[in-house]
Amino acid sequence: MIHEVVERALRVAGRYGLDEVEVYAVRSSTTDVVGTIRGLERVTSGERVDVGVRVVLGKRVTVQGGMVSRVEDVDPIVEAAAKVVRTLPEDPNWVSLPRKTGRTSVEGVIDPKLRSPDVGYFIEVVRYLLGRARDIDKRAYTSSASVRSTYVERVIVSSHGGPQVDEHTEVGVSVSIKAVDGTEESGYYDFYSATTLGRFNPEELVSRAVEVSVKTLGARRVDTGTYEVVLVPRVFANVVQALLVPAVSAESVQRGRSPLAGKLGSRVLSESLTIVDDGTYPELTGTRSFDDEGVPTSKKIVFDRGTLREYLYDTYTAYIDRRESTGNAFRQTPYSPPTPWITNILVEPGSGDLQSMVRDLRRGIVVYSTIGEWLSNPVSGLLNATVTNGVYVEGGEERFPVKGVVIAGNIYEAMGSPEVRLTATVESFARFRVPAVYIPKLTVAGK
Amino acid sequence: MLSRDLATQILDEVLRRGAEGAVVRLQERVYELVVYDSGVLRGYSISTVRGVGIRAVVGGGTGYAYTSSVDRESISRAIDRAISLARVASSYGRKSFAPVKPVKASYRVEFKVDPHAVDPQVKVGIVREINTTSMRRAGIVSAVTRLGLERDRRIVVASEGTEVEVDVVGVGLAHTAVARYGAIIERVGDRESYIGGFEHIERRDWLRFAEEIDELAIKASQAKTPTPGTYVAVVDNEVVGLLLHEAFGHASEGDGVVAGASILRGKVGERVASELVTIVDAGLVEGGYPVPYDDEGVPKGRTVVVENGVLKGYLNSRDTAYELGMEPTGNARAQDVSFDTLVRQTNYYAEPRDWRVEELFEGISYGIYLRGRGAMGGQVNPSVGTFTFSIGPSYIIRSGEPVELVRGVVVSGNILETLKEVDAVARDLKVTTSVFGGCGKGAQIVRVGDGGPHIRTRRIVVGGG
Repeated sequence: MIHEVVERALRVAGRYGLDEVEVYAVRSSTTDVVGTIRGLERVTSGERVDVGVRVVLGKRVTVQGGMVSRVEDVDPIVEAAAKVVRTLPEDPNWVSLPRKTGRTSVEGVIDPKLRSPDVGYFIEVVRYLLGRARDIDKRAYTSSASVRSTYVERVIVSSHGGPQVDEHTEVGVSVSIKAVDGTEESGYYDFYSATTLGRFNPEELVSRAVEVSVKTLGARRVDTGTYEVVLVPRVFANVVQALLVPAVSAESVQRGRSPLAGKLGSRVLSESLTIVDDGTYPELTGTRSFDDEGVPTSKKIVFDRGTLREYLYDTYTAYIDRRESTGNAFRQTPYSPPTPWITNILVEPGSGDLQSMVRDLRRGIVVYSTIGEWLSNPVSGLLNATVTNGVYVEGGEERFPVKGVVIAGNIYEAMGSPEVRLTATVESFARFRVPAVYIPKLTVAGK
Repeated sequence: MLSRDLATQILDEVLRRGAEGAVVRLQERVYELVVYDSGVLRGYSISTVRGVGIRAVVGGGTGYAYTSSVDRESISRAIDRAISLARVASSYGRKSFAPVKPVKASYRVEFKVDPHAVDPQVKVGIVREINTTSMRRAGIVSAVTRLGLERDRRIVVASEGTEVEVDVVGVGLAHTAVARYGAIIERVGDRESYIGGFEHIERRDWLRFAEEIDELAIKASQAKTPTPGTYVAVVDNEVVGLLLHEAFGHASEGDGVVAGASILRGKVGERVASELVTIVDAGLVEGGYPVPYDDEGVPKGRTVVVENGVLKGYLNSRDTAYELGMEPTGNARAQDVSFDTLVRQTNYYAEPRDWRVEELFEGISYGIYLRGRGAMGGQVNPSVGTFTFSIGPSYIIRSGEPVELVRGVVVSGNILETLKEVDAVARDLKVTTSVFGGCGKGAQIVRVGDGGPHIRTRRIVVGGG
């Protein structure tokens, strides 16, 4: 249906004397299986088609759209957009919709098992995750487990070219473990997220979750002070997403909302940090052949050994800086205006493994999970995250588990230290491929 | 046009094809958003969500299917899919639902001016004036102003005979200012939403609203971050709302309780807070988001979760109520028809007591006044009770007076500890909602309300730069 929707929208738009039109349509089919300690909770399946229409008249622009039920539902969307755009003020920065559309060759974005999902298999996975924790450790049980599989087909066409068509699959498997020992309780959440089931290992997923959960039983707060901190890859990725990603968006830079404005070519992080945005990396969930406005995705070094090399652009922000889009247009929904955002983030590995990094700690905390790191302030660069699973280490020895403390500090000071180190081992999940990181100094608010 | 007749026709068909029980949901939601960013119109968008969701129960198994297409063929396929998924689920166990009395009712928010019928130029003009005025203010380097207008119409019919229709209209304006002072840049955002029509937008002095935010951002950019540690705190209405929603509300949701994932499991009848604390979840409350019926069609009344510090019950859907041996409380909610329901809060708040707000500061030699304006939100791990949230620029209290502004404040704590530390509750109840966001859970966002009176807590962990 989405091809008909796109064709019809473009045809209808032709009646209104618009200068430029772009139609973006997404068909997504999802299957969800959710189980809890009491058994299978929900099996859900559905399909939706969402359409966004961006119309331009001179320098006036609007985006309208929504979930459509029938092909002819795009008519009022186009009509409303054509009507509204005439009433809007001009955007002095507007130049054009993308003129260089196209596609990059990408691999590992489709798993046939997810395109036509086997609900029975997903149920078995959920049942396995629900039952396995107790076998691994009597103190642990799985409070919930879920599988969500999605197949997405996208079409984009504009006055300047297309249609561009692509498809991808995505799967998320999650497990929440609770551990109880007498009056002590702990919990840990882990997940698998990728475009395929290729690397999915349910045993590995549940084992790791049980290990962390049991290991952090009896957690308590440490005294307020300054500590060395090790962030495991998932926590490190969350910190990068909360603080560095918004700061390298060209939109944030141009609008005065980034502490990295005017710092291209400057060293802003430790030399051990090389961070790449790569929209083509196999099996990561941000991999696409084109971005959300039809521009081919690409690979670019954002931080090169600590030096800021590149901001992320969509077409609108690229025109403002008189350059080309980096293929980083992202729409929160198909009917949202595009803004620059990451595709996938790859942090180049360092050396050694997590165990040796921990053994080198004099007085520090190994952080396995946090909550609230997304509440950090990318405008000021201030990190704030509450540790939910951590371990206090002294003289290289794990002493006791930690929770309920807040780790805080300016990310550029913390990550700018020459002592920052990374592990050689990396983890891939969702839009990230990152190692663990050692930060020599962070404030910890505790007792 | 989605109608109750269409919903009952679908329901009849689901039952005719072999389901022993079913819930059919129809929804049409229109959301209009005008965004000005630093003097430039960055977005004028209108989006619509429309579709059908079907929950079928077959042999004790439950399946849910949805479609955005409301033609006969698509609906028929969705019915088959829901039934087929229910059959698959039935081979892995039965799910039971607490009985409910059928309800036939409608609820409609009254309004004077339909927000979606107002001339787009008027809407753009309001947002432009606020945003450009803000950008002219010395010290402000960036400002984002948003006008949000929403109408959400839901129809729920269930095989028990329930037929409810809820039609909610809401409007709001949000403004975020970024101020620079030397090398320091700081942002402060706030939003105000009203349930009703565009008349609420017309009557508010939004320039003054934005000016207050701008001035706070400018002052915050010149402020220090607080010294990390444990503080005595006076907490304003908005932060109380955040704290209760995150720290307690999620843990009181019945689905987490039955899954063994809530720290409140098995604690009904136990003291979980100071005796000054009474917490309720109410579907209809002034300032909140109206949820007269949930997405199973169950009336959402007033649920007392904590009474004088003692846990009285949980928030329940029909199935968690059955599991827990309780009554359904009307808390089964879904973001839209593409999701089956989860147990969610509606308007979660603390009841007021007798203190005047000024009295809460008395006797505090050194503490912090936690303020909600500029708050970013929060998060909780309900299984262990740890919560955190980022709040707005706040004040250090010295000798009973809030005297020094601090920025970058984050608080953290444990559910079962923090509310026991409350030693004063004021009389100034305030509940608010927002048309710009809501509560996230299981990849779904629903509108909620929260709030309470000012409170004082003897101990809360404060982080900061």
